Amino acid sequence: MNYQEQNISANNFEDCIKCTICTVYCPVTPFNPNYPGPKQAGPDGERYRLKKPYFYDEALKYCLNCKRCEVACPSNVKIGDIIQSARIKYTKSKPSLRDTMLANTDFVGTMSSAFAPIVNATLKLKPVKVVLDSVLKIDEHRQFPAYSSQKFTTWYKKEAAQKQDRFANHVSYFHGCYVQYNYPQLGKDLVTVMNAVGYGVHLLEKERCCGVAKIANRLVKEATRDANINLASIRKSVADNRVVLGTSSTCTFTMRDEYPHLLHIDNADVRDDIMLATRFLFNLVDEGKVKLVFRKDFHKRVAYHTPCHMEKLGWSVYSTSLLKMIPGLDFVALDSVCCGIAGTYGFKKENYKYSQEIGSALFKQILSERVDAVATDCETCKWQIEMSTGVHVDNPISIVAQALDVEATMKANGVSI
Amino acid sequence: MKYDTIIIGGGMSGLVAGIRLRKAGQKVAIVSAGQSALHFNSGSMSLLGHEQGRDVANPLVAIERLHPGHPYSKLGAETIRKYASEVAPLFAEAGVTLKGSAERNHYRLTPIGMFKPAWLTLEGYASVDDPKSLPWGKVLVVNVAGFVDFYPQFIELGLSKAGLECVSRTFILPGLETLRKSATEMRATNIARVLKDEVVLEMASQINSYLKETGSDTVLMPAILGLYDENPIRLLRSKVVKPIHLVSTMPMSVGGMRAQMSLCKYFQKLGGTYLIGDKVTAGRFEDGSLKAVSTQNLGDMPLEADNFILATGSFFSHGLEANPTSIYEPIFGLDVEASEHRPEWCDMDIYKKQNYMQYGVVNDDDFHVFLQGRRIDNLRAVGAVLSGCNSMKEESGGGVSLMTSLKVADDILNGKGGKK
Amino acid sequence: MDNKFGKKHYDVIVIGGGATGAGTARDCAMRGLKTLLVERFDFTAGATGRNHGLLHSGARYAVTDQESATECIKENMILRRIARHCVEDTGGLFVTLPEDDLDYQKKFVEACMKAGISAEVLDPKEALLIEPAVNKDIIGAVRVPDGAIDPFRLTVANVVSARRDGADVLTYHEVVAFEREQNRLTGVRLRDTRTGEETVEHADLMINAGGIWGHHIAELAGVKVNMFPAKGALLIFGHRVNDVVINRCRKPADADILVPGDTISLIGTTSTRLPYDQIDNMEVTPEEVDILLREGIKIAPSLAYTRILRAYAGVRPLVAADNDPSGRTISRGIVCLDHATRDGLDGFITITGGKLMTYRLMAEWATDLACKKLGRTAKCQTAETPLPGSELDKSYGPEDHKKSHIIELSTDQKAAEGRHGSLSEQIEYKTEDDEALVCECEQVSVGEIKYAIEHLHVGNLINLRRRTRMGMGTCQGELCACRAAGILVNYNKCAERTLRDLSSFINERWKGMYPVSWGETLVEGQFMSWLYEGVCGIDQLARPEDLIDAK
Repeated sequence: MNYQEQNISANNFEDCIKCTICTVYCPVTPFNPNYPGPKQAGPDGERYRLKKPYFYDEALKYCLNCKRCEVACPSNVKIGDIIQSARIKYTKSKPSLRDTMLANTDFVGTMSSAFAPIVNATLKLKPVKVVLDSVLKIDEHRQFPAYSSQKFTTWYKKEAAQKQDRFANHVSYFHGCYVQYNYPQLGKDLVTVMNAVGYGVHLLEKERCCGVAKIANRLVKEATRDANINLASIRKSVADNRVVLGTSSTCTFTMRDEYPHLLHIDNADVRDDIMLATRFLFNLVDEGKVKLVFRKDFHKRVAYHTPCHMEKLGWSVYSTSLLKMIPGLDFVALDSVCCGIAGTYGFKKENYKYSQEIGSALFKQILSERVDAVATDCETCKWQIEMSTGVHVDNPISIVAQALDVEATMKANGVSI
Repeated sequence: MKYDTIIIGGGMSGLVAGIRLRKAGQKVAIVSAGQSALHFNSGSMSLLGHEQGRDVANPLVAIERLHPGHPYSKLGAETIRKYASEVAPLFAEAGVTLKGSAERNHYRLTPIGMFKPAWLTLEGYASVDDPKSLPWGKVLVVNVAGFVDFYPQFIELGLSKAGLECVSRTFILPGLETLRKSATEMRATNIARVLKDEVVLEMASQINSYLKETGSDTVLMPAILGLYDENPIRLLRSKVVKPIHLVSTMPMSVGGMRAQMSLCKYFQKLGGTYLIGDKVTAGRFEDGSLKAVSTQNLGDMPLEADNFILATGSFFSHGLEANPTSIYEPIFGLDVEASEHRPEWCDMDIYKKQNYMQYGVVNDDDFHVFLQGRRIDNLRAVGAVLSGCNSMKEESGGGVSLMTSLKVADDILNGKGGKK
Repeated sequence: MDNKFGKKHYDVIVIGGGATGAGTARDCAMRGLKTLLVERFDFTAGATGRNHGLLHSGARYAVTDQESATECIKENMILRRIARHCVEDTGGLFVTLPEDDLDYQKKFVEACMKAGISAEVLDPKEALLIEPAVNKDIIGAVRVPDGAIDPFRLTVANVVSARRDGADVLTYHEVVAFEREQNRLTGVRLRDTRTGEETVEHADLMINAGGIWGHHIAELAGVKVNMFPAKGALLIFGHRVNDVVINRCRKPADADILVPGDTISLIGTTSTRLPYDQIDNMEVTPEEVDILLREGIKIAPSLAYTRILRAYAGVRPLVAADNDPSGRTISRGIVCLDHATRDGLDGFITITGGKLMTYRLMAEWATDLACKKLGRTAKCQTAETPLPGSELDKSYGPEDHKKSHIIELSTDQKAAEGRHGSLSEQIEYKTEDDEALVCECEQVSVGEIKYAIEHLHVGNLINLRRRTRMGMGTCQGELCACRAAGILVNYNKCAERTLRDLSSFINERWKGMYPVSWGETLVEGQFMSWLYEGVCGIDQLARPEDLIDAK
């Protein structure tokens, strides 16, 4: 007999045995009674939606897409994917102007970078926030990330590009919207670290936003277009033997897993070549291929926060292992819980309150640990934690860059440029 | 990545073995495909509760009468006596208080008012020495309005059979009103997130006023507090004027989840690596031993180790799987002890002995497993994935998990039972 | 021995709470007869609750039995009008597989036309567009007006209707003997199957609508109606695999119909003769499971990897034609016997044969005969008057009664509306607690459970399941059964009985699961055992006699 060997229907929702473990780990359910919870919104609801799309529940929009339900599930049910796919498939309303605006991180970024000082000043103004709040339903309490006046790629082309070819090894870098428009320093840090261990860092031929915000706001057509552009460039890079590194857990996760699961784009040929820089770097060290030499005068107490998509990737072990290699770093592991922002979710007026409630346990723990900095691999977690605790947040790559004795490292790895 | 020991499965067995090894200085990683069955725990663990359908009074004595293939028989009563005494202190280090003795079973009160034999019971849960003479006097059973996974009437029935007088009251807590609006999420664990600090004080004063009104001597309430630690339980007990005990609810189990989280945190605090939501997909075997395992998330970076422990649990946790023609171990395809004849797997009466419950991986006296008849020198199985015991009928699940985990961890540390 | 409702005398007592009995009680009550409906267990406990739930177009019988086919299509059209909330217009396909003879299709279409069943030959590609679950290799397809019908809802709607017209209803009352005066039956002796208490009810006429059990009821009356039980096994899949009924276009055989029913899909059936003494002990054998799967996969390949929730079997009452007591000539048509003319026994009618599809027509025939015998002239209106829940003049639009704090009508409200039609308005959400879900798989709220207990003859969990779908979903009651028991005990005030009921309910659920105990179904079973036996210790309460309703 060659039937019933496995129960696997589309989206594998049938593997759910109704144990309800997922609901225990959902960050939203304890605070938002309107959200039906991952089990109801996911596998339970899916049976009904299959019966009739009429059973689609608009309250699925309260899902953060954090995937913590999937991590908790003992039956390997892709609960988060089921919920997001249902939102894409069944929501009748069109994305609002607000959602479209928030989703287009790269377009808004381009515009804002050009006028960074004005935008930064404006976004802080009370009247502007009130307008954002009442007209666009973007919560007035939300602090916007500052826009940098110089884009990362501008810096790269001017300051870094020409010497990258001189290294023995090469990687590509998917910088993402955040590094490009808000925080080029992280990109610079990556170039510093990778160069120090003998790797040239290159931009992709073309890079678009990974699409996470567009997917979350149901702009699927646009997200698919961007995804295809990204994948085409990634394929070229892989063909040149250059793996593609990211410094954002969310961008990396989106390109690896959301492209096939939610946009139904096959990326199997290059998926394993898209990875976080911390994973790549850790592995080089672990295999003895490179050495990191750290400065003696670096002393910091750093707490690591696991972003939801990092939890889903299962890769925090790489970032934390790297941080633990730094002799002067006093490492604190925070409980792996959601910070509440979930990308554009926390910007929306209807979610702001829940967003802050969800994160409150984490904020409390961070404040009680009295750390110098929080390390995390996600930019929106950074905004949320900085806004809510006042503690400075850095990407692990930036912390490695700060702690690294660049010259000694280059020497140890025989790099001379 | 290279470890001393890799443990596949992050439930109680895996964590206890992990803690033991880590404390002895080993570099340990646990790979856990989702959360564990501990989330459905009754508030107690048993070593051996039933023998031929009768309650066991002294598990250590009854263990000697088990059949030779039983994991307990492989361990021997003396080893079990030794390890049994180490469990409560180990859990205490992790912040989980357990009470009970392996010399004499006590009884726990079940969610429907029955009494079942138990070995160790979590802090605060209702348990008695003898269900026929309950020491509680007049009992007040309280529940939170809107909580549908607790049944005061059934508890009352159970207690009235023992001759106790019972009254029940339901109360509303303002702190729970948001949760009550949710059609699906008014669950024990979600309530437990809210029941701390001032909310507990509020609850205590409600309960005290009911105590006064009804003149009761003891309070029973659903186990809906103490999710992260035992403090809310202690606080409540200190504020309620009469003894108050918790009764386990239908899932999720707050106490079980606390135990899971506490053990996991403790393991990580000791420096262990816990990979949650990841799944071992394959192993590389060479010359009768397992060299490395690959996982879904770690992809092309396999986990290497000197020793491996299989703590993947029973069917529920997918340590075993079944299709219409066979029962198999899904990760490595290890040899299993199971009937090849489907009609033998189950009895049509759910309360009769179900053969599938005692199926598991074939294992030798040191719990090494076999692949196509060949013993794997550095892969040992612990807990519910082992063949040879029907933990449902024996009430032995917790004990088998703990005893085999401790034994296997010690064997690894002593370098015992390696290559032959 | 008092009679239950203080009425000295009924015009008719209808025996049997399946679709036919309930339909007959409705028809009688609508025509002004003082009616009592009695059922030994619960409504739909017999063959009514154990079939495909297929709203036959009649096409399946067109080639072999024109008379049945014609009856079917007529009743099909009537049920679409009067039982809207029980019927889903899915449409049906008759597909020809490569291994089947395409010539049969021609014969089939002609026979359909002759019976008045619309049968449209489709290009196989078109059929695949209509129903993507169909095997891609089909070489022929015909579209017919099949649909899905929920026999539980249908029966209860008939009961509610009968009650509205003054009928009395007794479930858990078994006819153990007839009262008689010479060659005339005057009443029934009933035994309460829960308490053993006996009562007597009198009427001018008893109508035997006991399906296969009618064989035994006739024996009690001292007459012989030869019935032959045929067992049919079915499998329930975890979710909707298909949205259109798929039949195999060939001479009717094993496992050739896949029906979408509410949230699930059903493949069936097998057909085996069964000794009469086995009709209350039906088990699905491993061989039957294997046949159903092997054949089912041919029509819808995705069944090969879809979770099976449970297996069950029902009994068809095949009636031997009166002129052939050997039973070799079996009629599939309706058999309505006036025992006065047939056997010289007055006051007794048997209505049997037929099928779920023709329950209303059977009821009409039986009631026509009853009226004739009682000298009444009222005409049958059941073909025109919608059943309670399906009234046309009432709008039960989603928007007017949504829960205050929910964005739109909640999923359980939508589901309840599907289950009870316009009667769902009677479900009350007095507090937030009433909005909480009891059954998460099938979306049954506390409010709906309370409504069913208060209005739909619910005394135990199995009744509740049949009225609401509670416990019929993916987890087969493992999460909701205890919650429902916790509500039920507030009504019956008997914790002991409710717990034993819970214990037997769980065992009844397992009985359907163990024949397909692999994959997630076995996992679910283990989880169920852990919770109810392991955590709760309910096995200590299990009593064999509590399985009374689980047969």
